[in-house]
Amino acid sequence: MRMQLTYKLLAIALLLSTGLYAQESSDIGNNEAKALNETEINFLFNYYEQDGDNAAVTGGRGTEELTNVAPAVIINIPIDTSRTLSTYFGFDNYSSASTDNIDNNVSSASSSDTRYYVNATYSKTNAKQSTYSVKAGFSQEYDYTSISAGLGWAKEFNNQNTEINLSGLAYFDTWKLLYPIELRTGEKLVDTDQRKSFNFSATLAQVISKRLQASLSLEYVYQSGLLSTPFHRVYFNDGINNPQLKDRAVETLPDSRSKFPVGLRVNYYLSDLIILRGYYRYYHDDFDIDAHTMNLEVPVKVAQFFTVYPFFRYHTQTASKYFAPYGVHERSEEFYSSDYDLSALSSTSLGLGLKYSPLYGLARFKGPFSKKTGRITSFKSVDVRFADYTRTGDNPDGGGDLDAYSISFEFTFVF
Amino acid sequence: MKQIKIIFWYALLLVAGGLLQSCVSVAAYQKVYLNDENMELNSRKVEVFETNFEAYREGASGANGGKTGGGCGCN
Repeated sequence: MRMQLTYKLLAIALLLSTGLYAQESSDIGNNEAKALNETEINFLFNYYEQDGDNAAVTGGRGTEELTNVAPAVIINIPIDTSRTLSTYFGFDNYSSASTDNIDNNVSSASSSDTRYYVNATYSKTNAKQSTYSVKAGFSQEYDYTSISAGLGWAKEFNNQNTEINLSGLAYFDTWKLLYPIELRTGEKLVDTDQRKSFNFSATLAQVISKRLQASLSLEYVYQSGLLSTPFHRVYFNDGINNPQLKDRAVETLPDSRSKFPVGLRVNYYLSDLIILRGYYRYYHDDFDIDAHTMNLEVPVKVAQFFTVYPFFRYHTQTASKYFAPYGVHERSEEFYSSDYDLSALSSTSLGLGLKYSPLYGLARFKGPFSKKTGRITSFKSVDVRFADYTRTGDNPDGGGDLDAYSISFEFTFVF
Repeated sequence: MKQIKIIFWYALLLVAGGLLQSCVSVAAYQKVYLNDENMELNSRKVEVFETNFEAYREGASGANGGKTGGGCGCN
């Protein structure tokens, strides 16, 4: 009798627990469905400031003072459970002292330009967990226009523990040729005003354990056309000290360049408080630049919905074979550049990010589409990030040092 | 010599990638840590601006989801 009662109680308990579990599963399913149908908007803003003394416009000497203000918006719209449209648009408005020196030799931080850009990605996932995507983009600034198009394919398998991602992207760019004022003789100083870039990438993402996952990215970038900048000056070794009288030309680089970056990303969930995010990149190109980049970010969950993430990045690279400082290149050389971005250098970036993301958002209100959709808009999260960047030249003749800082904000809304 | 070095790196990493697949299979219900937003195998959206200016101020770029073309970045 007692045994029978025990079995009945066990059966009831089992039924109840199964029922609760089923309801919980159903709720999870509903939440997933809701999440899939939620439109997400990210409002981004960045302020960047740099200063250095090796501007390429003035042949590797002169101020590199620059400020840049960049608002951007990312909108991710799920059309249905399998199709998504994502757009990314914004502008960069910079004020640059060196750009002023295209036309004269007096420095002031007054010259400015704005680059407008828009990118869109349409993706569709089929029942076999394969996602196909089509990408298109456009950007324009005063002297430069760029059109891009690309295709992507991604597939999850191995019980969603492995993902392969392949993509190809092509950029077709056109320069408006601006030469330094003293070199504007009416003569054609470069062969073309076109630049093409083709980017192929393959990424393998793999779950390694319950707390560890990694991804490996192989890329190949091929560029052709005008790879130099037509308003960058190069001063030659002619024995003359006076910069006004010194022999000079516009920067000249080969009409093709191949880049081979390889990136490895490893994330480890150390504890409920601390996560480790590591990144390493090896880079080589046929301008003879070899580079190593390492990044470590340590998100710390200081409160339930509040994360602080300090990060440190280190980069080191060898000089391009086409680089030489002011007054060192010989006129007889085929290619020459005094752009310190192509010089031997190392850089460090140290910063801190703060993210606040409460479970039900910071605020909930009726948005502009609430009447039509019946949905409430949620102010989901805030992310603030500050980075202090120091570049140190490793060149025998000195130069290449640059200091910069950047502050960025991200405000995320869903509806 | 450089080309051989690159091919060696690519081959080594492909082999490493292949070996990774032999790791244990983690079931969906065991992915509570892996599903944490800080565990995403991408750079953060708010990081995109830094990735761009690093690509301009350093000769190297790519393999991090950042800029590899479009826009001269010549200032």
